[in-house]
Amino acid sequence: MLSRIAESLFWLARYIERAEGTARILDVNYHMLLEQSQQSYRLRWEPLIVMAGEEDRFRKLYGEANAANVFEFLAFRSDNPSSILQCISKARENARTIRDRISREMWEDINGLFHLANSFVPRDEIAAGPHRFCDKIKFGAHRFHGVTDATLPRDEGWHFLRVGWSLERAEMTARLVDVQYHNLLDGPPAANALDNHQWMAVLRSVGAYEAYHRQYHPPIEPEKVAEMLILHSQHPHSIRFNSTEVQAGLRAVSGSGVGTYTNEAERIAGRLVERLSYDRIVDIFQQGLHGYLNDVLRMCGSIGLDIARTYFYYAVVA
Amino acid sequence: MGAAPTLMARPGLFEGYDTGGFYDEMFRAPGQPRPPYAKLFQKFAALAPSHFEERRKLADLSFLIQGITFTVYSDGRGTERLFPFDLIPRIIPNSEWRHIERGLSQRVMALNLFLHDIYGPQRILSDKRIPRSLVYSCPHFRREVIGVEVARGIHTHICGIDLVRDSKTGEFCVLEDNVRTPSGVSYVLENRIVMTRTFPDAFEDLEVLPVNHYPAELSRILRSLSPRGESEAQIVVLTPGIYNSAYFEHTFLAQQMGIELVEGRDLIVDGGVVYMKTIRGLTRVDVIYRRVDDEFLDSLTFRSDSVLGVPGLMGAYRAGNVALANAVGNGVADDKAIYAYVPEFIHYYLGEEPILRSVETYICAKPDDLAFVLEHLPELVVKAVGESGGYGMLIGPAADRKRIEEFRERIRAHPRNYIAQPVVPLSRVPSYDSAEHSIGGRHVDLRPYCLYDGDKVTIVPGGLTRVALEKNSLVVNSSQGGGSKDTWVLRGES
Repeated sequence: MLSRIAESLFWLARYIERAEGTARILDVNYHMLLEQSQQSYRLRWEPLIVMAGEEDRFRKLYGEANAANVFEFLAFRSDNPSSILQCISKARENARTIRDRISREMWEDINGLFHLANSFVPRDEIAAGPHRFCDKIKFGAHRFHGVTDATLPRDEGWHFLRVGWSLERAEMTARLVDVQYHNLLDGPPAANALDNHQWMAVLRSVGAYEAYHRQYHPPIEPEKVAEMLILHSQHPHSIRFNSTEVQAGLRAVSGSGVGTYTNEAERIAGRLVERLSYDRIVDIFQQGLHGYLNDVLRMCGSIGLDIARTYFYYAVVA
Repeated sequence: MGAAPTLMARPGLFEGYDTGGFYDEMFRAPGQPRPPYAKLFQKFAALAPSHFEERRKLADLSFLIQGITFTVYSDGRGTERLFPFDLIPRIIPNSEWRHIERGLSQRVMALNLFLHDIYGPQRILSDKRIPRSLVYSCPHFRREVIGVEVARGIHTHICGIDLVRDSKTGEFCVLEDNVRTPSGVSYVLENRIVMTRTFPDAFEDLEVLPVNHYPAELSRILRSLSPRGESEAQIVVLTPGIYNSAYFEHTFLAQQMGIELVEGRDLIVDGGVVYMKTIRGLTRVDVIYRRVDDEFLDSLTFRSDSVLGVPGLMGAYRAGNVALANAVGNGVADDKAIYAYVPEFIHYYLGEEPILRSVETYICAKPDDLAFVLEHLPELVVKAVGESGGYGMLIGPAADRKRIEEFRERIRAHPRNYIAQPVVPLSRVPSYDSAEHSIGGRHVDLRPYCLYDGDKVTIVPGGLTRVALEKNSLVVNSSQGGGSKDTWVLRGES
């Protein structure tokens, strides 16, 4: 497989995942925050921007955050490289450069999603609220997963896609837990009911609300939410599950056996999986959640770089 | 040809259709379809306008979702557009097609022999059958490949030759040759697929000759060029990338042939051998179907600012370690001034009479022709010799005074760069006008795609019909508002 194609598959997956993740977070939190405003609770839109890692850009464009500008920025702005429209556009651009290598169905699906996303008129959507738009994006991303699953041979290309979207998902969840946890715990003391409400939103934004209730008893407790999102071995949005997926995908490409590695990306993925498998949530809180999640994010970043060094880049030889 | 059937069908969609004094390929007179079109006419005439409109939208949507688009640059940012598809098919009568096929085969062989000669012994120049200065002044003549032995002596693997039917005589003639990187064949195949999906009933009772064997035939020819033999051959399509207007076609052909689509940055030359960069290291490449123009192929040999090609590629090509299709330097054969000499090539190399007529051509490099052209600009079509895609062209009768004077200056400044031809009144085929919601006659041309394997020429039946969708327009290029039609050659019918 051409290096460029592997790279495009990896990024195609990441962008789709990023678009979906942003749509989920925006949809759930937007409505929760609006409800709170009726209770004259201080509006806290900034965390949504922090999660996207785009604080500076946002501040330059808008200054103060509010419902309308956060939605516009995260969903539509072409000068925000992580906006949903930009992610979908880049996913499609990547797909376009490899459309001879992915299935026709995959290409038509992502191309259709691109045209659909661009058919929304931002002004109308801002007036209507994000649910309608975000739902289409979420569903579109799910459909793309389904189409891919049903039509793409399980060759190296498949594994690069798998690594791409798992790595992106692990990072999204890590940022979500980090930002929300501190936002909620450092904020002004609030009634338990309200806290509950916000943690529900966190769970909903990764589709883990129902699963949480099957596993734990009410009330919703922040430590348990963190445990579920970081350490759960089976939930498709937990950091551990996704790290395991990254490791499995990398091994499938290189053919390394269990307990061995052939490149730096695999070595770091192995260490990450090991920590997530054997650390308990109490250990994590003991050493500090923020520091722990920062380590996770740093390791994910290194894995991405080392994948590129191993498989995508050729040194320029004069 | 059988007796004209009496037709009782209502004209329906064709109500009020006017043949407008041109050769109309469907109607010999208003309401009287020509025999090959009889069944098709009945089917379309019976269709309610709303049904027609519905199917038209379905076809458009199909092209959009599949991303079958091309990129236009005139607006400065490169916008993706649909290549408009007209639902009414064009039929080339079978007997005429057989004639065209013979004529094109002859022409392709002559062009190939010319290229082999001009980059080899140059007999035709010593025999003074074409002026040496005309060849050497051609912007696409490549001295760099004189003496390079190409695989199996083939230069013109893929040719797209533009034909038009002259309304005055009703006869097909050659308008121009495209022997560098002709595009459009993907539309021939996709148009057919979309047509069978949206109008399955139009194919009933008619045996339309298939076109989908093109990729297999192209793949067979490319494989035969491999310097390491066919079994090991690693074949790739080289594209300039997603911003190229024909990018869709590059991906389409690679996918259909099951070979890798590469960009220049995916390849590297080491020790005179071409490799591609894979996740497992370097893999040798034997044959490149390149859709990158000569001047961008190798920054060490041609334009040094090009990043689309592969530095060192020409070295590997000269050494015979990699085959390129089409060969480098073909532009000398489709230069619009050289075009005037193709009938002479047919005489000289094949000892035959040209089967297809060419359009009378004035070569501005010749003083007598130049004087005539400058005197008759408002009546002529002027073309820049090295351009394609309808760029750099003056259509005298349609141009205003200012534009004519502008061209007069340009021609005077660089006579070698221009030729002129009389305006050919192109034939017309009924086409849907979406602005007027009615069917009107629109001018068409025809580009068949010819594949040459060194022994024989294979042409998929029909080719790409391009149609000038704008009323009265003669320009069929996609970049200039043209569309296309599914093109049918029927089995058995004459």
